[in-house]
Amino acid sequence: MSIDPRRKEKIIRYKAPKNQGQSGGANEDMMPDYMNILGMIFSMCGLMMKLKWCAWFALYCSCISFASSRASDDAKQVLSSFMLSVSAVVMSYLQNPAAMTPPWAS
Amino acid sequence: MRPVFAFLLLALLCFASTKSEESDFEEDDGDFAEFDDGNFYAEPAAKNADSFSGGAGSIREDQDAAPKESTQSRKPAQNVESDEEDGLVEDDDEFEHFQDEEEFEGYDGGDSKDPPIDQKVEPKLNIPNIPLHFRTHWDSYWMEMLMVAGLLAYFANFFAGKAKNARLAQLWFSTHRALLDENFALVGDDGKAENENPGLIKESESLYTLWCSGRTCCEGMLVELKMIKRQDLVSLVAGLMRPQLDQAHIKIELTRGVMDAFVFAVGTKKTITKVFKEYTDLSKFCSLVGKPEDRYNVPTGFGVLSEVPEATSAILESRVITALNKYQSYIDYLHISDQFSGPIQQEEGGTLKQPETKAVLLAGFNLPKHAEMETIKPLLLLIFYLMERLKTYRMSKEGKAKSDKNRQRVEEEFLKSTHAARAEAAAQRREDKRKQEKERILADEDPEKQRRWEAKEQKRQAKRNAPKMKRLAVKSL
Repeated sequence: MSIDPRRKEKIIRYKAPKNQGQSGGANEDMMPDYMNILGMIFSMCGLMMKLKWCAWFALYCSCISFASSRASDDAKQVLSSFMLSVSAVVMSYLQNPAAMTPPWAS
Repeated sequence: MRPVFAFLLLALLCFASTKSEESDFEEDDGDFAEFDDGNFYAEPAAKNADSFSGGAGSIREDQDAAPKESTQSRKPAQNVESDEEDGLVEDDDEFEHFQDEEEFEGYDGGDSKDPPIDQKVEPKLNIPNIPLHFRTHWDSYWMEMLMVAGLLAYFANFFAGKAKNARLAQLWFSTHRALLDENFALVGDDGKAENENPGLIKESESLYTLWCSGRTCCEGMLVELKMIKRQDLVSLVAGLMRPQLDQAHIKIELTRGVMDAFVFAVGTKKTITKVFKEYTDLSKFCSLVGKPEDRYNVPTGFGVLSEVPEATSAILESRVITALNKYQSYIDYLHISDQFSGPIQQEEGGTLKQPETKAVLLAGFNLPKHAEMETIKPLLLLIFYLMERLKTYRMSKEGKAKSDKNRQRVEEEFLKSTHAARAEAAAQRREDKRKQEKERILADEDPEKQRRWEAKEQKRQAKRNAPKMKRLAVKSL
């Protein structure tokens, strides 16, 4: 390339894509959202029905949601999901400190 | 409702308290019975038992005796009462009426009829199942330990994977930095007013982006480094079943008018079939080329989507074919389009305008497995070469005519598909306008005006219905 292709006058600043967070993009990663919802459902099941394995799954779901969340995502959402799942675990053990039995044992 | 609830609550409390009293009594009985066991020493135990049972007996005797005494003491009191009728009744026992035989028939009798406690038969004891203290049985918590261990492993992997992804992205950037600096006036932009940290932007732990701008024939170039989700253990395990690769997606927005109007894509067959379904421009303008290996000499396993054959063969010239052959394993797809409008939108009915289109050059490359970024450096050169090629290449008249015809066809198809929706929208607009007018007239205080408007409206309605009536009349004849 003999000529310098650079053009300072043609600089266009970066704009974050508008449809971020919406379900439009084909390559949009929906994993954190799915995990967030799943975590919330599991936490609720854990809290209401006192199912310990539900509470633990909720904790895992919020971990996955945290790990794959975007930098632009709202951190509060991840935090609240974490809090909810942790409280589900704590509450279920406060109510019944007995050990969790595997499903095949009962 | 509130009093009913309060009453229910009270009833519940009463019930609970009576229950607890009963249980207290039972427990007391148990306590007494413990002394009856007398397993310690034969002699004192027997003594104890005797003394206690004696004690119990003596209490009962006392209880029995008490009423007797009180009845005895009552008699003189009664005498006193009879003696001086308006006298003081301080001597009178407060619970005297309990001993009134007329009121409580057989009250004393019941007590006296109590069977004597049998010393030989042990009373039945209720021993509740108290769980053993849980701290003594850590072993039973193996499931919880497994869960916590899983969490620890997840977080350990999170930090390791995150660091590795960051390292790989930085490696890619540092390898290509010189080339990018040669081609773009601005390399790395975070979108803020002051470009605080030029370089890669971290979108998530597995997605890094880089914006470059300030070059001839393009507005800007967005590089997305899509790494394997190394930070997520679940994705890693899923990746064992369906292996994935680190990828770099390059999107160059070309300046309008730089390239001729055509759509084209080449890539691995799997990707090509996927994008053919996914992207609007490819699905509307292109067709899948049969036997591209013979026709365009692309390496085996590659597919070609072409709109204008002439343009396709111009793009797939010997240099590009050589590059495709050489870097076959690293090239995922190349997509050139002047009508790019992103993936197909699901809610087609809602859109009445054709989506905005852009001229773009898209490319997807697989990153080498062992972080040898130098090997894929020529691929970026290929992109710049293609850009220059698009700038200089001009289609023949026939080719142009064909592409114009295609664009017209697509537009007509779109208009046809949205005709009903557009007619509905127009009718809605008319109706809204009429409603507004009616409101305006009604708000007006001049009755003459209103009457005139109503007459006009009636006439219009009649006119609207008239042709239908006529047709009906013809039919009935």
